[in-house]
Amino acid sequence: MNKDSQDSNRSAFAAFSSSLSDLGNLISKGCDALDLPFRSPPLALAARIVFFVFVSFTIVRSFTVGDSPAFQRPELARIFFWHFPCPMLATICLLQGTWWSLRYLRSDSLLFDIKALAVLELGFIFSLLTMATGIVFSQAEWGAWWQWDPRQTSFLLVLLIYGAYFILRGSYREPERKASFSSAYILAAILPALFLIYIFPYLPQIAQVSLHPTGSILSGQIKGGYAQVIWMTLIVTSLFSIWVFRLKVNAAQIEHDLYELS
Amino acid sequence: MSSNWTKEIRAIFMKELKSEWRSPHAFLTGILFGIISIVAISIAAFNIHVSPTLAAGLLWTIFLFTVVGTLGRVMIAEEESGTADLLRLVSRPHSVYWGKQLFNFIQTLAYAVLLTALYILFNGVHIAFFGLMVASLFAGSVALSGAVTFSGALAARAANRQALAASLALPLMIPVATWGETSLRVAFGEGFYDAGRLAALGLFCYGVVESALGPYLYAALWKK
Repeated sequence: MNKDSQDSNRSAFAAFSSSLSDLGNLISKGCDALDLPFRSPPLALAARIVFFVFVSFTIVRSFTVGDSPAFQRPELARIFFWHFPCPMLATICLLQGTWWSLRYLRSDSLLFDIKALAVLELGFIFSLLTMATGIVFSQAEWGAWWQWDPRQTSFLLVLLIYGAYFILRGSYREPERKASFSSAYILAAILPALFLIYIFPYLPQIAQVSLHPTGSILSGQIKGGYAQVIWMTLIVTSLFSIWVFRLKVNAAQIEHDLYELS
Repeated sequence: MSSNWTKEIRAIFMKELKSEWRSPHAFLTGILFGIISIVAISIAAFNIHVSPTLAAGLLWTIFLFTVVGTLGRVMIAEEESGTADLLRLVSRPHSVYWGKQLFNFIQTLAYAVLLTALYILFNGVHIAFFGLMVASLFAGSVALSGAVTFSGALAARAANRQALAASLALPLMIPVATWGETSLRVAFGEGFYDAGRLAALGLFCYGVVESALGPYLYAALWKK
């Protein structure tokens, strides 16, 4: 065997072992992706069991807790348990996504864009759920699926902002352009989004025509076991979204690594 | 602002003005679109008393769609004609953005003045506070030009740029439409003067924030 062919074999072997090592890292990342924040397997298992019990208890409790007199048709108003956390989480996701987008633009690290995309996708899903559960609640309480109520309308517009962000992302092929253009857009769109969430519904002429209640839990209109279930659903949904977020970020990192390898 | 900045912004602005002067199709298209909308609304509302709230809402809807349909082109045209790369070589992002936004602002103001005058003439709208109406149109033009310039910059390098620019601009204009409608409604005689004044101020502040933020974000995308 001559020297050239030996060198060629050696470099082929080095490339092969490097690919194997990359693959090993990817598999290990994939295994990590299925883990909760707990690294030790028994702790992760225990956390999963506790979470499962808590979710089950919350679901059962949301059907068995007594009716609240704060609603016009209390027996149909139970969807409120699952409606309440959705707009809150959609708003938090939007703010968090904006923060990571800003960090991406300042650092050019794709990890921040991956995080921003994951959290904004979750926010989009929560916005859709807000609309879906809100429409059902509107029919149950006010007798119409859609009222053009200012709060309903303003959240529909927030949904459109999310929609514009994803359309912009889809319009570019290159990962870097995708990331930077959509990050810039969400930073500009946070102003109208905050206006729609925190200013527009509370303008005096808007607030007085809105059917949507404000501060009904904090002001004590909804209390006792009913209020407890509302807080429980908020905790369950928040924990669930953190878990899904971690999975999405890890999956996106693996996808990005595979893209770099290919 | 140093004289270099002023020179660069003026150069970009004059370039836009000259190219528009040579072939004013885009500006005239916007005017035509606005006039057709006003005529269509006037025919639909024939013999019907249009309340100040409805009149202000309709007028702002015409503004939004006129501006969104025509002004994003200022950024997009550079990519289409292949001059954007040259611009990136010889100038700074902030001055390009400011020059183009200034040009868009002048066009938006021209649309606003012309279309409002026509709308008032055709529909016999009563003006209770002329100063407030002028303030609303001026502040609205600042905010609209900011939103449309920025969305044009974001969409310029995409394949579906025209439609994309419009879909990106509309969500940014929601507060503009709300405050603009409120201030114009008061100017047309419905509601309290203070509410209208505050709405016009909100509109102006939103426009200023948007115009200040736009160049920084544009600079972050400049060489991507």
